[in-house]
Amino acid sequence: MLKIETSKKSNYTEIKLIGEVDASNSVELDEAIVALVENDTKNILVDGTQLEYISSAGLGVFMSYIEDFNDKKISLVIFGLNEKVFHVFQILGLDQLINIKSNKEDAVMEL
Amino acid sequence: MFKLPNLNIGKISLLVAIMTWLSLLFVDITRLFGKLNQMDSDTAPEISYILEIIFFIVVYVYFNHSINNSKKNNFIDLIWRAAITGIVATVISIFISIFYYSLGESRLASDPLLRNVFYHIDFGFATVFLVSCTLLWKHLILYQKTKKVVQQWQAFEVGLLISMFFVFFNNNTLDYSFLFGLSVLVLFGASLAVNLKWIPYLTFKEKWKSILFMLLIQFSAAYLFIQILTYSQGNTLYLNLTDNLFLLSLFAFVFIYAVFSFLVTLFNLPTSSVFEQKLVEAINFQRLSQSIKPGENENQVLDILMDSCMSAAYVDAAWLELKINEDDCKVIHQRYVTNSERKDLQNLINSTRPFSEFSWQEKNNDSKILSGKIQDLKYKSVTITPLVINKQTVGRVILLKEVKDGFNKEMMNIISTFVGQACISVENYRLLNEALKNERYKEELLIAQRVQRSLLPSTLHHDETFEIHGFSEAADEVGGDYYETQILGDNEFAVIIGDVSGKGTSAAFNMSQMKGIFHSLVQLNPTPKEFLIKANKALSHCLEKNHFITTAYYIINTKERKIHYSRAGHCPTLHYDSTSESCEYLSIDGMGLGILRNQLYEKYVYEKELFLNKNDILVLFTDGIVEAKNENSEEFGYERLKKVLCKFHHLSAEEIQQKIIDQVYEFIGLSTLPDDDYSILVIKFIK
Repeated sequence: MLKIETSKKSNYTEIKLIGEVDASNSVELDEAIVALVENDTKNILVDGTQLEYISSAGLGVFMSYIEDFNDKKISLVIFGLNEKVFHVFQILGLDQLINIKSNKEDAVMEL
Repeated sequence: MFKLPNLNIGKISLLVAIMTWLSLLFVDITRLFGKLNQMDSDTAPEISYILEIIFFIVVYVYFNHSINNSKKNNFIDLIWRAAITGIVATVISIFISIFYYSLGESRLASDPLLRNVFYHIDFGFATVFLVSCTLLWKHLILYQKTKKVVQQWQAFEVGLLISMFFVFFNNNTLDYSFLFGLSVLVLFGASLAVNLKWIPYLTFKEKWKSILFMLLIQFSAAYLFIQILTYSQGNTLYLNLTDNLFLLSLFAFVFIYAVFSFLVTLFNLPTSSVFEQKLVEAINFQRLSQSIKPGENENQVLDILMDSCMSAAYVDAAWLELKINEDDCKVIHQRYVTNSERKDLQNLINSTRPFSEFSWQEKNNDSKILSGKIQDLKYKSVTITPLVINKQTVGRVILLKEVKDGFNKEMMNIISTFVGQACISVENYRLLNEALKNERYKEELLIAQRVQRSLLPSTLHHDETFEIHGFSEAADEVGGDYYETQILGDNEFAVIIGDVSGKGTSAAFNMSQMKGIFHSLVQLNPTPKEFLIKANKALSHCLEKNHFITTAYYIINTKERKIHYSRAGHCPTLHYDSTSESCEYLSIDGMGLGILRNQLYEKYVYEKELFLNKNDILVLFTDGIVEAKNENSEEFGYERLKKVLCKFHHLSAEEIQQKIIDQVYEFIGLSTLPDDDYSILVIKFIK
């Protein structure tokens, strides 16, 4: 089960992921990100505090936007991942390409 | 053994009936002759009575048999049969009267012997008519019988049987006991005569026929009754056969039932069209529910639906719109209206309330009929019924009538029932087709499964210094896990394990690409790092944007007893060090393949080497193993895996692999299904 809450803040938009991202619902995550890109959002903050699990399909969504975001100068910062989920990003090497912070304050600083 | 010949009851009873009648005639004539000539050879009247009873019974048996065996059992045939017997009996009787009338005052006209012969003929035919008619009535009365009616009828038959023997008590005179018996049977007969359930099932035309035949029967019965009364009134000389309780009761019964049927049929005439309509609706309903058979299509159901709706509501024009896409519909099954007329009407309807409120998108259009009037010269009232299949409005039926307020509640109810049934039929048809298609897909998947299984090696390359054992299981029919080995040269082996992102069919295709890349690159004998860089480059052109592959590549040199390895986003390898007797994950950075599809990738891969001793173990696995969850959503995890290896390091590679899988299955429990692919490769140095 995955719940996505998108909230627009003054200078960034926050996506809160609640639950698990797997092959069955990674499309929802993708749609949420596409919607933001279409709205010309330049700063995206992903709140992972309540993300319990992410499968390779979920990682694939984040991965697919890395180059795209670099070209369009969109910054994406993930914060608040629990140890287990962060480990998944780490093993794959995604932590080196995506800005991942431990808390929201640090994440906002990155924008 | 004595064998009963196959008796033909019909023929025998007919023969016996004629014989009995002839003997009755003979006995009566002889008696009359003796009486006239004052001879003393008077035969007892009881003999005649007995013969009369036998005649009754045999005629009864004959007709019972003949009606039961008759093929034609519809109501009109039965009534026609009764009517024709009545007409024959009446015509014969009329001929006899005419014959006497033509004789005038001649001697022959007053001859009692001749008159007695004709009396017997009249009696015989009247009996035949009454008995056959009674038995035909029996069929009509017992139509849609209940137990009560059957019992009533049986009691009536017993009463009639008793009435035959009544003649021995009163010698066929009309005394009080006779009148009492007669009134009992007449009342009984009348009470049976209310069973007229067959009448509504006649069509309008059949009802008219029935009325005519019933009139003929009434006339015949009345005429024969009067004729027989005149015989017995002017008679003193010969034996009275006809003032018989049985016979007179039958007269009454036949006449009463004919009158009842006549009247009820007559009053049923105006409503018969309603009943016919209901019957047609029931049949249409059945056609709708059974209409889609293999080889037919939805169009036929909709065709039947249109006919059914039109006949149910006496519609003057109609068409059916089917939705093709969001804002376009196609008109099919157009009835009694031209294309241009229909287009005008469509525009008019769509701009008239309440029809303008119709929404194709609405979810609860089910059984929501719109009905109202339009400002048109010809058509005054309209209904629109949506066709809802699987909560989607797929079409609508438009019915028009020339009268104002032409659609009443009953019509709309029946239309909505028809439409509902048609939708169910179409839905069932679609489901069936889908099921067939799914069945094909399943077969295709089985083939894919077989092909993919064959992509995983059945034997793994090794030499006498190490054991290697692999295991792989997919969560779906096909999976995205991959492992393989290859001989690079003397004492050198390449080992690869990989995991494609996602799962199922898409993962399986990418896995086969990975296999191709492995076999191509391994020929070049690259270092692990080179292998990953080249593989990443190759995959950059093959993988979809959001797909990646994690892999780990090893070169085992058994002579130098060392391995070179690189990791590309794959789960770290578990290593059991026999010298320190400890288990650790090999730490090395490395990014997954397909994540960074340019030259920068090189910066994110590394290579390490490791010397191995005897009894050292390497466990290569995919994330399915460590991410396997139990019912509390707890993961199997890296720590548990480590503990299993520490515990079973003394076993062979195959046994260790088995233990790990057993532990994983035990951990997730029977209730949860694996939701990822599991693969594991155990390498143990035995020298």
